[in-house]
Amino acid sequence: MRDHERIEELLAGYALLSLSGEDAQEADRLLAEHVPSCLVCRQALADYQMLAGDLALEADPLPPPDLLLARIHRQIDEVPLGRRSPRRGSFLALVASVAAFVALGGLSFVMVNRAHRAEDRMATALELINVLRSPGVSPVPVEATGSAPSSTGFIEVSAPDVRMLYLVARDCPDPRPGHDYVVWLGNGGAFTPVERFVPRDGVVLLRLPVDVSRFDEIWVTEEVAGTTPATPSTQGRSWGAHLV
Amino acid sequence: MREQEVEDLELHRRLSGGDRAAFDELYGRYAAAAHGLALRITAQEALAQEVVQDAFLALWRAPEAFDPARGAFRSFFLSLVHHRAVDVVRREERLRTRSERASNLEPGRGEDVADEVVEGAYLSVRRKQIREALTTLPPEQRQVVELAYFGGYTQTRIAESLGIPIGTVKTRTLAAMRKLRRALTQEDVA
Repeated sequence: MRDHERIEELLAGYALLSLSGEDAQEADRLLAEHVPSCLVCRQALADYQMLAGDLALEADPLPPPDLLLARIHRQIDEVPLGRRSPRRGSFLALVASVAAFVALGGLSFVMVNRAHRAEDRMATALELINVLRSPGVSPVPVEATGSAPSSTGFIEVSAPDVRMLYLVARDCPDPRPGHDYVVWLGNGGAFTPVERFVPRDGVVLLRLPVDVSRFDEIWVTEEVAGTTPATPSTQGRSWGAHLV
Repeated sequence: MREQEVEDLELHRRLSGGDRAAFDELYGRYAAAAHGLALRITAQEALAQEVVQDAFLALWRAPEAFDPARGAFRSFFLSLVHHRAVDVVRREERLRTRSERASNLEPGRGEDVADEVVEGAYLSVRRKQIREALTTLPPEQRQVVELAYFGGYTQTRIAESLGIPIGTVKTRTLAAMRKLRRALTQEDVA
């Protein structure tokens, strides 16, 4: 039986954006595994998030400079809805190709955050396309190091407002026999494994409920299957990037 | 549902269709609250404006991020501002110390800041409820909530700052949030 007192404690801290370390990881896990199916926790989370929005009103209101609205209008005019930078466009093309693959029934062995049904995987791909079109989202190329092929094309996409991380790749080689891949997030040189996966036909699509703002690095490394290493392996293939 | 919430929903619906006038009206409703919050958290006018600008641009470019089934637009938007402001504070902390920022708390703004706070009665009423609810908290509970929410502190950092065990921070946070939840969810439906 779940300890709802402990869960509520985490949800309260989560709503205030004040969790870190193991507490944050546990909250992320609960949000993925327990909260969606628990009416009590869903209601508590909704109330605490409403409360977190309303706590803003404790601060004295202060009109911004008149020029701010004009600046926002200029920004809106400079990047009209639907217009995307070429770089983001290329990322969209990659995601779209993955989405098409998913729609055709592929990806059956890829772990997509416990979303095993085909419609869930398709929804994840479409969700990612939508996220890519959102402002404030900066896709990060996760570059190959060592013996990993540079053509893999891992892309990390974070959505800060929804605390979600997506990892997409095509042309990802199968891990060596007896191995799989592990996604690591690092902060100040300390790394946490957040997901294991095996690509299917070179395609990877992961959706991880993680507050990426707590981390400054992401790594994908090849690890011995069934083990939980304390640190990323430097022996096999690896890909890495700094998170801005 | 309150009249203002219904109006917010209609403005959001129009904004989703690309209606600039609806965007401007939502800006008029929430810019002062957003700016006040962002300035309280970041303690720097330039950063506060960056947060407000980013939040409104996010609203314009991805209005579908707001799901009316999950609560009021007011709460959604101010949560968005809060999240971005905390992200900015944590980003800035990698570059400079908090004390340096604090020295800039009363900056010369150098821009044509509107002096009058024009705010809907609805927000004023809710603001009064929030402040009254906060005054009912024991000082030690209010302190941890304020350090987390307005200081952008993690619970670990709060414990270090106050010299208390992190378990105490968690206990005080939960107790405070439960009291606020009881007080404000009742007020909201009243």
